[in-house]
Amino acid sequence: METRLSSVLLAAALLSGCGWFHRGEKPSNQLVVDEPEGEPSIVEPQVNRREVKVPKIKAKDFEVGAYFGALSIQDFGTNPIYGIRAAYHVSEDIFFEGYVARSKAGTTSLEDVFPDVTVTDNAGRHFTYYDIDLGYNVLPGEIFIGRGRAFNSQLYVTVGMGDVKFADKDQFAVNFGVGERLVITDWLALHIDVRDHIFETDLTGRTKNVDNIEATLGLTTFF
Amino acid sequence: MRPLLTLLLLLQAFNVTLVQAKERYVDVVITDPYIEMHSGPGRGYPVIYVVGRDDTVTILFSRTDWYKVRAPRGQEGWVRRADLARTVLASGEPAPIAPYPDFSTHRWEIGAGYGVFNHENLVTAYGDFGLTDSLDVEFVVQQALGTIDNRYITTIGLRHTFLPEWKWISPTAGIGTGYQYIDNKSPPQPLERHNQMAYVSLGLRGFITRRFMWRADWRKYDVFTNQNQTEEPEEWKLGLAVFF
Repeated sequence: METRLSSVLLAAALLSGCGWFHRGEKPSNQLVVDEPEGEPSIVEPQVNRREVKVPKIKAKDFEVGAYFGALSIQDFGTNPIYGIRAAYHVSEDIFFEGYVARSKAGTTSLEDVFPDVTVTDNAGRHFTYYDIDLGYNVLPGEIFIGRGRAFNSQLYVTVGMGDVKFADKDQFAVNFGVGERLVITDWLALHIDVRDHIFETDLTGRTKNVDNIEATLGLTTFF
Repeated sequence: MRPLLTLLLLLQAFNVTLVQAKERYVDVVITDPYIEMHSGPGRGYPVIYVVGRDDTVTILFSRTDWYKVRAPRGQEGWVRRADLARTVLASGEPAPIAPYPDFSTHRWEIGAGYGVFNHENLVTAYGDFGLTDSLDVEFVVQQALGTIDNRYITTIGLRHTFLPEWKWISPTAGIGTGYQYIDNKSPPQPLERHNQMAYVSLGLRGFITRRFMWRADWRKYDVFTNQNQTEEPEEWKLGLAVFF
């Protein structure tokens, strides 16, 4: 039984081998022209059609960059802030933008006057936020620097929401902003932004809404 | 000296690839009587140059609905998508300017929005891939920021759109599973900080303009816990999205 099976397998293997062997023999693509004697032959042009590959047009709708500036944390003084930003431009008017930034709060007036009082510990003074914003280019235009230079610019407004982590607590925050984008080259832009992050906190005793206004300078690249 | 040399060589190599990459632009021939080149990618920017019929322009790149092109004599400016869509390649084929994606048959969606999860503020972002015109796989990442706790929720699910051909408003329904992580604002932390969840959802979606759309969703979650009480939070949200 076993020998029969193996012989069947051997036969199958041989047959498939033959098939494999045949595969190598491609039909010859040499032109065989049966020329009737005495008559001139018509020459068939053998020109391969060239495949023209059209390159893809690059879309530069994304903008990524970093910013640096001053953040005024209500009751906690004004401090440096640094962050990163990424935007996607949907149309010439509208864009989506996301930010992540960090700052560190100073001391409140209360803490300055009474050194024994602490509102939050040192680790809690980190002010970290992320935001998802919708932006609208309200006033597109050109900015002239000197006589021979003009840069495209857009004044935009943004509105969004996100999370502010301050005093070791995450709070829901809304933000409103206005900014100016100065397009220096096709791939580089300078931003000047003022944005207010508003959230509810009870850190200083009673529950209230606090305004935390930042003024920043940023550099972004389009790709 | 040696690292400097290596750096120089590397820069040289990089430079060469950059130059080669730069040469891969699309040239198109104008078929309109003329097209206008603006100084910026927007409707209000002034026209700074005009290219006539049968001239060839090089398309450098696009930004939203505008294309930066180079005219035969080297002038550069921005041309509207609609104008460029009527140009042809040297072979006579239409220029490779992709039309807007069709809303009812689009494949990808990316969006964000605001919501309320169990009476807490919710920040949500999602990505969505269409398996068919009416069936989508939806991936959501969101954060619920409440007065007591703060939850990170991520879900994956299937969503069915009942009438995808209805442009302005069409109903949807979905099911899925997810995961939540709870962080109490003040101690003690909950007994179970990680939970698996399942949800059912009902929603609406609609087209706004170009590649913009809106969606509204209601979800009912079932949180799997080892505790005796069950948790069935509800969620409402409204979002804006871009489709491709």
